[in-house]
Amino acid sequence: MKQLNELATPFATVAESSDLPGQDLPWLQALRQRALTQFSTAGLPAKKQEDWKYTSLWNLSQHPFTHQAVESTVDAAQVEDLALLDDAYRLVIVDGVYVATLSQLDDLPVGLTVRPFSASLDSVKQQLGQQVALDKVGLTALNTLLMKEGVMVHVAADTVVDKPIELLVINSGATADLATHLRNMIVLDVNAQATVVEHYVGVTDGVNFTNVVSEVVLAEQTELFHYKLQQESHQAFHIATLAAKQAAGSQWHTQNITLGGKLSRNDVHSRLEGEQSHTTMDGLYLLNDEQHADTHTRIDHLVPNTTSNELYKGVLNDECHGVFNGKVIVHQDAQKTDSNQYNHNLLLSRGCAIDTKPEMEIYADDVKCGHGSTVGQLDMDQLFFLRARGLDDVTARSLLTHAFAVDVLARLPSETIRQALSAVIEQRLPRGEKS
Amino acid sequence: MAEQKQQIEEFVPSEYSAGFVTEIESDSLPPGLSEETVREISRIKGEPEFLLEWRLEAYRHWLTLETPEWAHVNYPEIDYQAISYYSAPKDKKDGPKSLDEVDPELLRTYEKLGVPLEERARLAGVAVDAVFDSVSVANTFQDKLAEEGILFMPFSKAVKQHPELLKKYLGSVVSYRDNYYAALNSAVFSDGSFVYIPKGVRCPMELSTYFRINAANTGQFERTLIIADDDSHVSYLEGCTAPMRDENQLHAAVVELVAMDRAEIKYSTVQNWYPGDENGKGGIYNFVTKRAACRGESSKVSWTQVETGSAITWKYPSVILQGDNSTGEFYSVAVTNNMQQADTGTKMIHLGKNTTSTIISKGISAGRSSNAYRGLVRIGPNAENARNYTECDSLLMGDTCAAHTFPYIEVKNPTAQVEHEASTSKISEDQLFYCKQRGMDLEDAVSMIVNGFCKEVIHQLPMEFAVEAQNLLGLSLEGSVG
Repeated sequence: MKQLNELATPFATVAESSDLPGQDLPWLQALRQRALTQFSTAGLPAKKQEDWKYTSLWNLSQHPFTHQAVESTVDAAQVEDLALLDDAYRLVIVDGVYVATLSQLDDLPVGLTVRPFSASLDSVKQQLGQQVALDKVGLTALNTLLMKEGVMVHVAADTVVDKPIELLVINSGATADLATHLRNMIVLDVNAQATVVEHYVGVTDGVNFTNVVSEVVLAEQTELFHYKLQQESHQAFHIATLAAKQAAGSQWHTQNITLGGKLSRNDVHSRLEGEQSHTTMDGLYLLNDEQHADTHTRIDHLVPNTTSNELYKGVLNDECHGVFNGKVIVHQDAQKTDSNQYNHNLLLSRGCAIDTKPEMEIYADDVKCGHGSTVGQLDMDQLFFLRARGLDDVTARSLLTHAFAVDVLARLPSETIRQALSAVIEQRLPRGEKS
Repeated sequence: MAEQKQQIEEFVPSEYSAGFVTEIESDSLPPGLSEETVREISRIKGEPEFLLEWRLEAYRHWLTLETPEWAHVNYPEIDYQAISYYSAPKDKKDGPKSLDEVDPELLRTYEKLGVPLEERARLAGVAVDAVFDSVSVANTFQDKLAEEGILFMPFSKAVKQHPELLKKYLGSVVSYRDNYYAALNSAVFSDGSFVYIPKGVRCPMELSTYFRINAANTGQFERTLIIADDDSHVSYLEGCTAPMRDENQLHAAVVELVAMDRAEIKYSTVQNWYPGDENGKGGIYNFVTKRAACRGESSKVSWTQVETGSAITWKYPSVILQGDNSTGEFYSVAVTNNMQQADTGTKMIHLGKNTTSTIISKGISAGRSSNAYRGLVRIGPNAENARNYTECDSLLMGDTCAAHTFPYIEVKNPTAQVEHEASTSKISEDQLFYCKQRGMDLEDAVSMIVNGFCKEVIHQLPMEFAVEAQNLLGLSLEGSVG
């Protein structure tokens, strides 16, 4: 297959003509220039590359996108409706544009900064691009070249943020074929603790392309609960990279729920650079129609005494296609690593397919590493049990599927968020007559 | 801990006990590979036209291919023009008619290796088609097998006596288009074994063949073809040892198995090619394509392998489960020490209904070696109620070795049940302490724990091999405790 260099959208020329922030900052211009060089040579990743073996970006490359959003009509009531959490600090981006009037950032506590990316360029200078590699994936280069908006969260040392911070990204559908390139920076200073929810929502079922890169920097003894909920339209392209660097004693708990998108791809990467640091990577992809969801995770254990837990579950219906690839790399110095990784998939109908590959690369001996992967169906005995108690077939199946799916929510402590996510998942399952 | 490490170093450089060179004059082609070489090999072997054509097609296809790079192994580029593609013991012209006529030097070699030839062969009940470099020099038990209608002979003989079977089955499981090394093998293969088990016959003994690389700088390109017709059963053993050499040698074999209705093939391997010295100098490159087709319904193929040798192992014995209710099994122990690299595993391709497969893989790495499991389980859209269970465990000894797991699972049928689990750990201090506290020395304790770790696989081996395999494990890992 040829390289996906011939794109329908001339992204490189978009960079010249558009109103990207930071035109006056030489360091940022230099970074964008590097990204341009990289993207011009690499193009979009092709299926020939091992990491893209099961996911073709051909349709993405052939779709003509626009970068100019027309004004949308999303109002406050709609935002209330779409938001996952009632009580949260909220930054709202509609069609790639930060909307101050819809955001709730007035009464931020001392030590917490939440600002749109475009207004925080100076403060992110030191760390921008440090967590992701430009040369690895053409899409990160594309994001770096065109990044325009996003959220910058900074939590000062010894601060425990009292409420979750919700980044609500809405695609209103007002602009057809809109492409947005978002960049989020989340930085926690020593001993800080916070909860961040990244929430992507599509209002209509139009085509759009969201390309987001979230960088996380965790200093010593920090703890970040990081949720990502993707509910874009079933025609959308959603490409996301989440990358964290973790210092000693830090904990990064991620939960990554994929419900929307025609084609979605998540790259989640953590680097455990300090001792006693820990990563939780949990996630769910619940797909139907002809959705295609690809999740690639990678955990690098670089120093001794680090731990990681990973659990991804997949529920596949109709003609959808799920891809999971989990990589755990234990580097030579990383003795006493304790890591486990699970991927369980439920196939519910003919026509769906799953390709899963849990990987381990281990270069240290005194470690405890395990992984498991399963593909199967609902348990007929359990189904019989529910049917015998009067539930109709559809309800019984939905109940069992829901139980299978919400298992991934169990490990994170926030009851409010768990209930909100559980409800979102429940809405996606078919309802029987008697429910 | 430091004391233990010291003990390890005392034990690790254990000499390769099969490392001797038999001095027999060899009749070799000069190094180099061209269409002419292919024609020459075919001429020497007096092959029919169709086989020469097939070889040439394979050779032309090979020219278009690039060396595969995806495996987790590193080695300097191989100069295919520096290899001699044919080598045979000098006295092959007349062909030995009995064991007395076989070169005594050759017999002594087998004796040192413990090959059950001569009397030992009969006692052990093993028929040996001993392949010495590229030409088969001795066959035993031919008569007994002939009574049953079983064909067990060198490939070159089968070409002459049963060309119709070869025409039908050669390359039908592993096409020369399959991969780089399969193409190379198809072009220049020298000899190998051919087995045909007729309908309803249960082979009365374990069939066995020993490969040995002897002449220096000779690539060995073996080809094995086993056909088990309806309702038949055969167990085939393959064992390898090679003398010590400083230059890397290439071994690119192809093994094809065909199981028809209700037939069963059990293929066991103990591989102990020369692994190179502790600095990674020398050793065999073992790039092998092994594949079985379960063509018939309720057929079964079982691969069992114990891999302790070779500088580089690149090997994925696979089963294509075509027939309904067919079964594939893969049991493997791979041991790497010093600078050895292994990238091995299996592929189970489920196409038929109610097909099942089991994969048990045990990897042990010590020294500065690298040991990777790479497997594929694919459930096709029509494979109703397919079932797979996979377990791969790795044991690490020492902080400079590496263990990797790359399992690919591809499922396109919602009735499939696939399970994969893998674990990596080192020998537990508690277990060692327990054994030592009861008066065992470290050596015995490690050996016992390793044997326990591999028990599931060793149990699958036929008796004669199980003993040899256990010895090999002990030999390869003496003292390498972390």
